[in-house]
Amino acid sequence: MHSLIQLSIAVLLLPLLSFVILIFFNKRLPRRGDFIGVGILGTTFALSLYIFWSVVVQAYDPAFRVAWDFTWIDFGNVPGVGPLVIKMGIVIDNLTAIMLAMVTLISFLVHLYSTGYMAGDKHYGRFFAYLGIFTFSMLGIVLSDNLFAIYIFWELVGLSSYLLIGFYFEKDSAADAQKKAFLANRVGDIGMWLGILILYSQFHTFSYQEIFANLAAGKFGMSEAWLTAAGILLFMGCVGKSAQFPLHVWLPDAMEGPTPVSALIHAATMVAAGVYFVARIFVLLTADALHVIAFIGAFTAFMAATIAITQHDIKRVLAYSTVSQLGYMVLGLGVGAYSAALFHLVTHAFFKACLFLGSGAIIHAMHHEQDMRWMGGLRKNMPWTFATFTLATLALAGLPLTSGFMSKDAILAGAIGFANAEGGGIYYLIPFLGFFSAMLTAFYMGRQIWLVFFGESRTHLKPADDHHHGHDAHAAHGHDDHHEEAHGVHEVAWNMRTPLVILAALSIFAVYSPDPLDGAKGWFMSMVPTPETVVGSAPGEAQPHETSSAAGNAAHLLAEAVPGGTHGAETDAHSEGVASEAASEEHGSAAPVHGTTHGEAHGHEFSDPRQAAIAHAAHEAHNPAIVISSIMVVLGISLALIVYVFRIIDPDKTAQSIRPLYLFSFNKWYWDEIYQATFIRGSLVISKVFSWFDTNIIDGIVNGVAVVTKKVAFASGGFDKYVVDGTVNFTAFFVNTTGGILKKLQTGKVQTYVVLLMLAVIGYFVYYFTQLIS
Amino acid sequence: MLSLIVFLPILAGLVILAVPSSQKQIIRMVSLLAAIAQGVLAVLIWQGYDASLPGITAAAGGAPEGSFQFIERLPWINLDLGTMGSLNIEYFLGVDGLSITMVILTALISIIGVLSSWPIQKQVKGYFILFNLLSTAMMGCFVALDFFLFYVFWELMLLPMYFLIGIWGGPNREYAAIKFFLYTLFGSVFMLLVMIGLYFSVTDPVTGNHTFSLVAMASQENYIKDAILGPDNVMWRYAAFIVLFIGFAIKVPMFPFHTWLPDAHVEAPTPISVILAGVLLKLGTYGMMRINFPLFPEVFQASLYVIAVLGAINIIYGAFCALAQQDLKKMVAYSSISHMGYVLLGLAAANTEGMVGALYQMFNHGTITAMLFLLVGVIYDRAHTRQIDKFGGLASYMPVYAAVVTIAWFASLGLPGLSGFISEAFVFVGAFSSETTRNVAIVSVLGIVFGAAYLLWSLQRMFLGKRKPDAAYDLEVGADGHEHIHFHDWKGKLDLDARELVMLVPLAVIVIFLGIYPMPVLGMLTSSINKLVEVLSPVVMTALN
Repeated sequence: MHSLIQLSIAVLLLPLLSFVILIFFNKRLPRRGDFIGVGILGTTFALSLYIFWSVVVQAYDPAFRVAWDFTWIDFGNVPGVGPLVIKMGIVIDNLTAIMLAMVTLISFLVHLYSTGYMAGDKHYGRFFAYLGIFTFSMLGIVLSDNLFAIYIFWELVGLSSYLLIGFYFEKDSAADAQKKAFLANRVGDIGMWLGILILYSQFHTFSYQEIFANLAAGKFGMSEAWLTAAGILLFMGCVGKSAQFPLHVWLPDAMEGPTPVSALIHAATMVAAGVYFVARIFVLLTADALHVIAFIGAFTAFMAATIAITQHDIKRVLAYSTVSQLGYMVLGLGVGAYSAALFHLVTHAFFKACLFLGSGAIIHAMHHEQDMRWMGGLRKNMPWTFATFTLATLALAGLPLTSGFMSKDAILAGAIGFANAEGGGIYYLIPFLGFFSAMLTAFYMGRQIWLVFFGESRTHLKPADDHHHGHDAHAAHGHDDHHEEAHGVHEVAWNMRTPLVILAALSIFAVYSPDPLDGAKGWFMSMVPTPETVVGSAPGEAQPHETSSAAGNAAHLLAEAVPGGTHGAETDAHSEGVASEAASEEHGSAAPVHGTTHGEAHGHEFSDPRQAAIAHAAHEAHNPAIVISSIMVVLGISLALIVYVFRIIDPDKTAQSIRPLYLFSFNKWYWDEIYQATFIRGSLVISKVFSWFDTNIIDGIVNGVAVVTKKVAFASGGFDKYVVDGTVNFTAFFVNTTGGILKKLQTGKVQTYVVLLMLAVIGYFVYYFTQLIS
Repeated sequence: MLSLIVFLPILAGLVILAVPSSQKQIIRMVSLLAAIAQGVLAVLIWQGYDASLPGITAAAGGAPEGSFQFIERLPWINLDLGTMGSLNIEYFLGVDGLSITMVILTALISIIGVLSSWPIQKQVKGYFILFNLLSTAMMGCFVALDFFLFYVFWELMLLPMYFLIGIWGGPNREYAAIKFFLYTLFGSVFMLLVMIGLYFSVTDPVTGNHTFSLVAMASQENYIKDAILGPDNVMWRYAAFIVLFIGFAIKVPMFPFHTWLPDAHVEAPTPISVILAGVLLKLGTYGMMRINFPLFPEVFQASLYVIAVLGAINIIYGAFCALAQQDLKKMVAYSSISHMGYVLLGLAAANTEGMVGALYQMFNHGTITAMLFLLVGVIYDRAHTRQIDKFGGLASYMPVYAAVVTIAWFASLGLPGLSGFISEAFVFVGAFSSETTRNVAIVSVLGIVFGAAYLLWSLQRMFLGKRKPDAAYDLEVGADGHEHIHFHDWKGKLDLDARELVMLVPLAVIVIFLGIYPMPVLGMLTSSINKLVEVLSPVVMTALN
């Protein structure tokens, strides 16, 4: 076993150990055992950092990969299949190493932070236990080498999320939110599960590597549509977990959980697992599946951003921002900007964790006030929080020199390139929504910063009867501090401050790339290159990671010539002769293996023409994207300044003048109400109907049969009594009566008998002679 | 060995007969000892079992007992019927992968059943005698390899069950008991006819006599071509398959023959619910796997789609009905219906993954549902109500109970890491891989969502939030300033007591362990299932014709 594998097993199991210790013994340990949780996670992070160092820094090989597996279930010699085993295993590549380091770092920081934030809570020890099982499950997702394993850990993070959202389970809103989260995720999961079933039914394996190899070899036995369906169904898992439309509704409600949980699970790691999963299966997504993904992502990014601009709750703004940013990542994957999407996953994880922990610090300092309308002026009281929060905000808004700028720009460049390569039209909607949402992001974050940190404290403005505060209230804290003055607000302690500083530092461009304008020049995008599709326009020909240079170049040539890619719709004039013919012939069938060599490709070569075309176009779109997104950010921030700083436009009046739109945004596009009225009510009605059917119809029939049987039994009883028994009794009666009559003959006198005998003899003779005469 | 494990409880019953009925503790201890001894024997059998031998049927020319293990075979009843030949009934026991899992499950659930019978106060002597009789009958069903013997055990089960529900049950117990009794009897009458028909259609390959041996019956070569249930008599074979299937389906219970189950559960005392859900329901699907399907493989192949659809109806219909229930026990009863639907679906897949999933689901449903009913019993003992809306906030006041409930509930909704997930997963894998049942599998995944819905909703209403105004319990502020729960006339421990933990913790450990590492159970059954799939496969049948 490779030493990295051994280490990664330790990394995986240590948080589980933390869970087991803390769930059983937290009450018997000093400080409820929080030091165990923090200590174990610190160790886990150190080990992960070592793995990261070995893989990403030392090896510095985009194709780095070590794997290990063991037989988990042995089905024996299966008829029709042969020996069949289900394996479990671990795979470590660059992406895994990066994710390991990211997850364990944020988890460690959140553990540390929670020692301050959760102090005094009734279930303090249990909180750290739950963080442990969450971290374990999340690392399981990252390390899994197969679909079955990822599904297991997928649902386990769902469980930990359920437990942590409902950490304050005495509150009905928390209990509702945890149930909603689990069920919404389950809806996504059944899609994911069906996707897994489609692939398993063809190849009798869950392993990524074996599935990809089989697909690349063209062994998929069902129609192309099933493959697209498999991709979309697997993506449904991501729709649930990463809160994409239409299953996004659970994430904002999940803010009922303690704020450190919101930072760790519902912003940085678990919700990004959906994106990670789509990245893992990226190579089997067909073009149609990718289109669906791109549109869902773009729409989610846009919709969530429009909701975020009107929310009052500081955590809800961040929650919708998370949904929106996850939409960007999904969009990025959909348009084929694989590296960019994952890059954004990592940068977002750090700055969003920073924002949530910052908001937690504010909420903590403000004694559980979450409504931004009653904040203000906090920059003086909480300078560290202010500085780190602002830096993370700039990264989220996507200002140059931040990490968020590079990653978001790479996604948007990919989106433009995709739209160009796919032939424009409706596809331009995707970059358009992307850029527009970027502006909205800058606006709502500017609004938040201003409302929270600038101006004067508005704590005293809060109506006394407003009881909507304290969404995140600790059971141990009282509710009697409505009118705490801002000057009573203090900066948080070191254990909550340190995580903010570290996370803010990780939002600076230099961590990822030497060039603040181009993430592609950095280590991340070099180490996590876009993989070659196994289901491209050339099934049976394309070989992942092993593209022969001739085929690759030929394909590249073709791709350059045919921006339409698999669709082959348009051809450039200068290469029309070769390409149009090839495109029409090879459309969806086989890649050309002939062709001449071609010049240098852009970093990575694709043998799949569609992928190559998009990569090329995205590269071309890099500079325009920078310009447009910068303009958008400036526009957004300016708008926020105009509205909230210079007060040129009054936000309340504007809201009044466009009231329907405002309400539409404020009420989150009414999705909750729609689902309540349709799916939830519908299910309950069906359940009532079925239950009624069961008791009245089915059981009615059963009881009816019983009643009929009883009636028949009574009838036959009656028959028995009156007819059968009647006959018997009648016979008895008859015999009795006749006997009674006949017994009178039985006189016992010989004379009578002789007379009777004589009569009989005479009668016989009379009969005999009458016969004789006739 | 097998005779011992089957008849130990009856021996205990005879001992109890001699104990004066005032010695309740002795009666209980005798039953417990018998159950534990049964458990030890089950472990010994498990240890001595060679998992590489498939069982199911005998190879042509091989031993007439096939590769069954722990065989005991003696002539039992021999009747000369004159011109019709003779009636040869054997005392024939043995185990293979199908039955050994069920033997272990039965032994386990019997121990749990005795433990959970501890609080029974009414006519303790009679109760435990009947309980032990039931235990023998269940075990006998799983190890009998002679159809007649199987039938004897099958019918023997009815009698104690009828009285256990009818005497020790709830207010409406007589209705429930008679419904259960008549329903099952209805199924077994036809089974008797089919059994006789089979007897005259099958000959023992060694002796040439007619036989009730299920091992011989499972091989189509042993059928007389023109006999009533011989291969030529297609119509009669279909009819026989259908009535047998209904007979077993009633036990499962399969829609639309399921309505006896919620009534029986609601009225039955906790231990009987545990036995009923934990073991008895499995006899239905076990009977299908042991008798119904391998004896009529071609009819089985023709009915796959129908069976799958019936399974899907069980899954979804059961889940919806569970969602509507107000009585917690009734909800759990409907969840049983839903979960047994997975077994039917897996069987209909007719491939290794699906059938392994089905058999594993039978085992897991046994352990998980036993937990569910025990947990329902815990709260019913204390609060004397099972109305879900009469609680609220229990997690704050009974944390250990809430924790165990959470494990059991999540096991039931198929959370990965717990055993129920693996079996349901492979049922779906199998059903989807079979082209016949694929679209049924696609619809059935809805059961995953609605299963989670009713379980989480009940969890929320009973355990989360705060005490409801009309709750079945009160809150008192204790000396430490915290609120404590108070039940009106409950003198025992408020949270789970030692006896309850002794029952629940081992089950929870099994559920978790088998969810992480299923091979200890799966390893025993895969070779048998592979053999069964082969016996049932259309390829083998066409080769025969």
